[in-house]
Amino acid sequence: MNFESILAHHLVDHKTSHKVIAVVAGLPVDMGLSPLIRTMWIACGIAIVALTFAARSESSLARVMRSMFEPLALFVRDEILEPIFGHHAGHYLPYFLTLFFFLLTCNLLGLVPHMKGVTANPWVTAGMAICTFGLIQYAGVKEQGLVSYVVHIVPGGVPLILWPLLFVIEVFGMFAKCISLCIRLFANMLAGHVVSLAFLCMIFIFAEMSKAIGTGMIIPSVGLALFIYTMDVLVSFLQAYIFTFLTALFVGGAVHPH
Amino acid sequence: MGDLLSPDLGLTVWTIVTFLCLVGILKAFAWGPLLKTVEEREARLKADREGAEKARAEAERIQKELEAQMAGVQAKSKELLAAATKDGEALRARLKAEAEADAAAIKAKTTADLAAEKDKLVGDLRKEVASLSVMAAEKLLHKSVDAGVQKSVLDGFFKDLDSTKKAGSN
Repeated sequence: MNFESILAHHLVDHKTSHKVIAVVAGLPVDMGLSPLIRTMWIACGIAIVALTFAARSESSLARVMRSMFEPLALFVRDEILEPIFGHHAGHYLPYFLTLFFFLLTCNLLGLVPHMKGVTANPWVTAGMAICTFGLIQYAGVKEQGLVSYVVHIVPGGVPLILWPLLFVIEVFGMFAKCISLCIRLFANMLAGHVVSLAFLCMIFIFAEMSKAIGTGMIIPSVGLALFIYTMDVLVSFLQAYIFTFLTALFVGGAVHPH
Repeated sequence: MGDLLSPDLGLTVWTIVTFLCLVGILKAFAWGPLLKTVEEREARLKADREGAEKARAEAERIQKELEAQMAGVQAKSKELLAAATKDGEALRARLKAEAEADAAAIKAKTTADLAAEKDKLVGDLRKEVASLSVMAAEKLLHKSVDAGVQKSVLDGFFKDLDSTKKAGSN
């Protein structure tokens, strides 16, 4: 059996239509749709419907949902944003709440059968990292002004001769932070899928040796796969929190350079 | 697995567009009302807390006032009690002094009365004795003595008697 092909079948996205709108550095920007994009839209639809219903309806179900979402929203506001942004937290709150719930919904939806692991794709997490990079620049320029922001990219007290070198290093550091965000989320979410599939494939690998051993491996393999699946639920929350927290930290660094 | 890492800029662009649209949609339809509800509740809780703190401060102030008033009342009652005790003692001393003075006056008056009564009785007794003595002497002498003689005799007698009494007492 080819484990790699099984893994690729579950994780790799395949375009169902093609529409190249531009070519960047020799790479086509194909805006064609794919199952992964549809899964992402489904996640967005779920988030919009659930959150809007919870926020606007007065039914008992909405109250229950509101009592679930409010602690998460207050956690993002009080534990992540307010320590970093202080009284500016309210301005950035909708972005970070959306970021947290978008990532959480995509992470959890990736665990549902027939859905794609949206955040287990590096080009999706790259898109999220680009948004973070854009927010860092926007917040830095908005809070400090363009000149002050550019000057404060390099820490104060640096000798003038080292300033250009440190400026380049700091700019690279800014990119590195966003790339690390991208890789962290993608790798963590991918790992859960890989390990779950590896445990399930153990049944078939051992069955090729002996059908009796393969049959005996069913219960431990499924048990371990379920354990990893449960862990993935926790990792979904954890990674959404980490991405949101680190984004807030990086943006906070641009807002308060000292 | 190489396909997973092969560049897909379209997916990245779709992700960015989808996410930014989601930010706008959720900001308009979900976060606004949700955060408004939360902020209203927090404002209500804050107002309730402030009201409770204010009421507590008011209650503490009233308690302090009552304690101060109670302390004043206690001090005043102590003062009144002390004044009443002092007045009582002064009254008692005055009444005692008056009683003692009255008792002394009564005693002195009684003593004087008794002395006067005694003197009177002694005087009467003297006269009676003298009279009897004269009568006895008349009978012995068989002759009457006129009142002037009787008086001079009696005076001489009493004089002698007094001198004899004084000499005896000395």
